[in-house]
This record gives sequence, C-alpha cells and structure tokens, in this order.
Amino acid sequence: MGSQAAAITSPVPVAWYPTLAILMLAVGLIVTASFFIYEATSSRRNRSLAKELTTGALASFFLGFGTLFLLLASGVYV
Amino acid sequence: MGFRFDLLLLFTTLVLLSTIAPTVLSDVILSKVDRRIDLTSQIVRVTSTLKVENPGPDPVSEVLLTFPEIQAKDLAYLTATLNEGKGKVKKSGSNLLINVAKPEELPPSLIFHSVSLPKALGEGDSLTIDVLAVFTHALRPFPEEITQADIQLVLFQDTAHYLSPYAVKVQSLTVKLPKARIETYTKLENTNIHGSDIKYGPYENLPPFSYAPIAVHFETNQPFAVAQELVREIEISHWGNVQVTEHYNVVHQGAKSKGEFSRLDFQARPHLRGASALRNLVAKLPPRAHSIYYRDEIGNISTSNVWGDPKKTELVIEPRYPLFGGWRTTFTIGYGLPLQDFLFGLEGKRFLNFSFGSPINDLVTDNLIVKVVLPEGSNDISISTPFPVKARTRGIIALRTKISHLDVAGRPVVVLEKTNVVPEHNQYFQVYYRFNKLSMLREPFMLISGFFILFVSCIVYMHVDMSISKSSASYLAKLQWDEVRATIQQVVSIINQCLSKHERLEASLHDLSRTGDVQACKTARKTADSLFKEYSKELKPLLSFLQSSPQATQILPKVEELVAKEKELQERLIAKHSTIVDCYEKKIGGRELENRVASHQQKVVALKQEVDDLLDYIEEI
Repeated sequence: MGSQAAAITSPVPVAWYPTLAILMLAVGLIVTASFFIYEATSSRRNRSLAKELTTGALASFFLGFGTLFLLLASGVYV
Repeated sequence: MGFRFDLLLLFTTLVLLSTIAPTVLSDVILSKVDRRIDLTSQIVRVTSTLKVENPGPDPVSEVLLTFPEIQAKDLAYLTATLNEGKGKVKKSGSNLLINVAKPEELPPSLIFHSVSLPKALGEGDSLTIDVLAVFTHALRPFPEEITQADIQLVLFQDTAHYLSPYAVKVQSLTVKLPKARIETYTKLENTNIHGSDIKYGPYENLPPFSYAPIAVHFETNQPFAVAQELVREIEISHWGNVQVTEHYNVVHQGAKSKGEFSRLDFQARPHLRGASALRNLVAKLPPRAHSIYYRDEIGNISTSNVWGDPKKTELVIEPRYPLFGGWRTTFTIGYGLPLQDFLFGLEGKRFLNFSFGSPINDLVTDNLIVKVVLPEGSNDISISTPFPVKARTRGIIALRTKISHLDVAGRPVVVLEKTNVVPEHNQYFQVYYRFNKLSMLREPFMLISGFFILFVSCIVYMHVDMSISKSSASYLAKLQWDEVRATIQQVVSIINQCLSKHERLEASLHDLSRTGDVQACKTARKTADSLFKEYSKELKPLLSFLQSSPQATQILPKVEELVAKEKELQERLIAKHSTIVDCYEKKIGGRELENRVASHQQKVVALKQEVDDLLDYIEEI
C-alpha cells in the first residue's frame, strides 16, 4: 500500500503563505484604494459601471486570496 | 470478598467441566506452554508460547484459547502470531485470525477465542503460536484506600496452570513484578522466586481445564492513569495541515487516597509522601508536530515541555496538581501535523493513515472516540481498521457534520468508538474518501464573494439616488451642481487631450530636427488640426451649458480663461510649427531659425504654465 500511494501535499508550499498573504493583501488594498478614489472623485454622470465592477472584482480577488493565505499563515487551516 | 467468591464458583464449574469437556473438543495436545505475565505497569501483558500438537487422525484448523469470564471482561487486546523460527529467527509478523467462539455444552463462565491456523495441522504435526493478551483493570489495589504516606499495594490473581480445553504436557509460568516489595504470593509446588520474578512450574501432564488459583500481593508505585473518556478529533485541511485535538478525562485508578493531602510533605519528600501520585504524562507525538498546546477550561497550563527529534516529538505534560488515587483531571492537548506525512492518494481516492490510540505512554483508555473531520465536499467515505471498532461492527459509520471555518454545508465526520484501549491499539487505521480538487477553491471563493459583495454594495450606494424629497430646492441644486461638475470634468478631459496633442506636435518637430522628414511633420500637423477642430466643436455645447447654469457662475470665468488660454497656446504652437516647417523647406537653418522661433517659444512656455495652473485650480473644485 505504502509503495503505490503518493503523499498528498498542499497546492502551495506552506512556507510561502506569509509572503503570499502580504503581497496579495498589499495589491488588494492598493486596488481597493483606487476603487474608492474613483468612487469619490468621479461624478455620477460620467462614471463607468464596467470600470467600477472590474476594479471591484480585481480588488476582491486579491483581498480574498490574501485573507485566505493570512488565515493559513496564522494557523487557521480552513 | 467478591472476587474470592467468583473464583470459587469458577473453580467448581471447572471441576464439573473436566468430566464432560474432552468429549466435545478436538484432541489437540499442547506439548509445551510458556507463560510470562508482566505486572510492571498497570497494564497486564500475558505472553504465552504454545506448542500445539495434533496426535489424532483429524486435521485441526483452529485452536481455542480460554479465559475465565472475570478476566475476559478486562481483556483489551489479543493477538496470536505464528512462531516459525524456533526462538532464534525472527517471528513472522502475520497475525492469525481470532474469533470469539461459543462451543456448545460449555458454561458461559468461560470465554473462548478460536485462533484460525494458516494451514490445517495434520496428524503428528506441531507448530508454535505466540499469544499476547493484554488486560486492563486486572490489578486490584489492596488495601483499597491509602493515605499520602502509604505505599500502593495491589493484588493480582490468575491460575498457575494454563487454563485450556486441551491437555498440557509441560508448562511453566513466570510472573514479572516491579522491583519493589512483594507482600505475599501463593506458594505451590515448584515455586521459585528470582529477584522480582516468581516462577511456577514446570508442571507436567495436566488434564484439560486444570486450574490452580494463585494470588500475588505486591507493591507498585506506578500511577494507574486511566482516561475514562478520550475524544480525539483529527481534522484534515488540504491546505497542508492535519490538526489533532485530544480531550482527556484522566483519573488515577490506583488505591484511593484517604485522609488529608499535605502539599508541603509532597514537595519536601515526594518519594515517601505521595509515591504513587501521578506527576506527569509523556506523550509521544509524531515527528514534525507543531503548534502544540496544552490547556483546560481555565486556560493554558504552563507545566509542559517539548523535545523534538527527526523520529518523534516528545511532550511531557504535568497536570495542575499531582493526581492521587481517585483524583481526576480534564485537559486538552492539540497539535498540528504536516499533511504529506498522513494523507495519501491511491487510485483516485485519498486516504488518511493515522494511529488510533492515544499518544500518551502507559495510558489505559476506557472509552475512546476518534472523530475524523474530512474537508467539505468529501464523499464516498469508507474506513479500514486493524481491529474491530464499534462503529464498524454495527455496520454503520456514524456520520455527522461539523461546521468549522468558512463552511457552508459542514464537514463530514467519521466517528469511531472503542472501549478498553491500550497502547497496543496504537496502530494505523485508514479513512478513504473521494475529493474533487476544485472543492478546495470553495474557501477562497467565499472570501472573494464576500469582498465582492462589499464592493457591489458600495457601487449600488453611489449609484442609487436616496433622497426622499425629489423636488426640494437643495436637492435640485445638488443635481445641478453634479451636472456642472460632470461638464467641467469633460472640459478638463478635452483640454488634457489637447495638451497631449500638443506634445505630439512637439515630438514631430523633434523628429524633424533629427531626420529632416518634412512630409511626416506635415501629416502630423494635419491630423492635429482636424482633432483640434473636433475638440472645439465638443467644447462649445459644454461651455454654453456652463454659461446658462446659475451654479457655474463662480467657476465659469476660470473655465473660460482656461479654454481661451488653451486656444492661444494652440495657435502659438501651430505658428511655431509652421515657421519651423517653412524654414526647413526653404533650407534656412541655424541662427535665423532660432531667431524666428524664439518669440513663439517663449510664449508657448508661458502659456503652458498658465494652462497647467488653471487646470490644477479647476480640478481641485
């Protein structure tokens, strides 16, 4: 049994989690900042919904994975 | 005394039995029986080497092992291995199959286990079997209550003759005791004592079911650590961790403590005042265990120590107080383990390979519950254990779910239960399941959608008009002001586009000075001209709107100035451009060119500065 069975590892090496968390959260927060700057500065008439949605999606992607890796790095294995 | 009476009863049934038994059982003979009883810890381990011989004509495929009922209820573990190597060569590791047997016409006060032999024993053949039987709670403290200063004495009872449905030719028994005082022991014929070992036998040619009760009363200061309930929770995370949490409810089941407890005496002379107290427990955790904790309801318990080496991690934990007989404590230990050491993939299925029992040394577990929490989305779950387990023998795997971090439906939990668990049960069991790799993305997807909902709600908030009165003056003013702001932004963006076109014109001039390509410069000029026209066309309605709007009165002069300045800048730039192009066409170079351009150049720089200032001012509003 032992010879054929292959050990299953995590998809991302555990040692990378802290770095990934910091990087992805940083990128996510920057994109979030740009999203809110855009929301606050552009006026209602010439605001583009597509741009808002893409910025929001990008920010939530990075924040989502950043939070996941932050949880994993701090020992909360989801 | 209860157990004395039990033994007497047993003995009488045995006497009755010896008359009827031989007729119902196969005529196997045990030509040699060697028994060693290890009483050095609270767990009684009986190792018997049986040489089985078949004198009769019928082949024999199974051998019966017999235990009196009072012993059988304490039996925790029983294995039989074939000893082929005549003692010197290593034993073959394969365990023989053992079933509980119920031969007819035998009273229920005897429990039989039948060992299936790998191949039937023919006439005159013989083989040797090693049987290991492990008993818990077989040592009875006597006296049952002691003070702090007393030593702990225990009583052990067994038979000096091997209890068997078969005739035994030669047999002997060795009882190994801890290196301490022996109070009394039953003296039969051929009883010798060597240090801390008591030897009974050899006895020869005894009939089936011979029974010679013996009792050994001796000192043992081993604490009798018994976990009345142990719940082990093994949680798998495919992100690289196996988290183990163990909830213990430990009691010292040696002689009960009576009288008062003096902490001072205990601290001053721990080996005289509290010799049998349970001071610490040693847990042998798997290698590379991390994030180890030891706590109870109050919080962290600081009296613990960890040593790690590549083969194991040793955790020494001390309860909050020394445990005397009858005292109890509850605590929790937990640790994380690397996933790749315990989780494997085989033919599309994944399986967890984990040890069953408690990692604590010399601990008896009365009731062990092992919960394996699989990741969300696991299915097709099956288990495989090296010995029968409660959930399995009933044919049902008790499946529940557990809601943990970032779960929606809950994680499937496999619950295995077993009573009377000894360290011999620390064998690997497997939980097989199927898992789709994409299910791993559930947790990040939940986080992402959570954040995305936040952003979408912000967008909705910014887009939805939430004023109650749609006709109030301030609301209308706000609407107008929004429009003015939007118009100004449009104006600013057009001006910015113009400025970028200016830069392109300048760049074309620069190219001209390098390559002398007049034609390219002219085309650049043409495109710029058409664009400028378009821009001024676009600007016109915006400006007229601003002029008509009462809200824009303050900002209007600045915007108009900006447009005017930009226009001037544009004209100057075009003039400069055409002058230079002219000069190149007429081959006028050097000083003359510089003179002609100089006035334009100065003006352009000044105007550019003014336009930039105005833009900054307007953008700040």
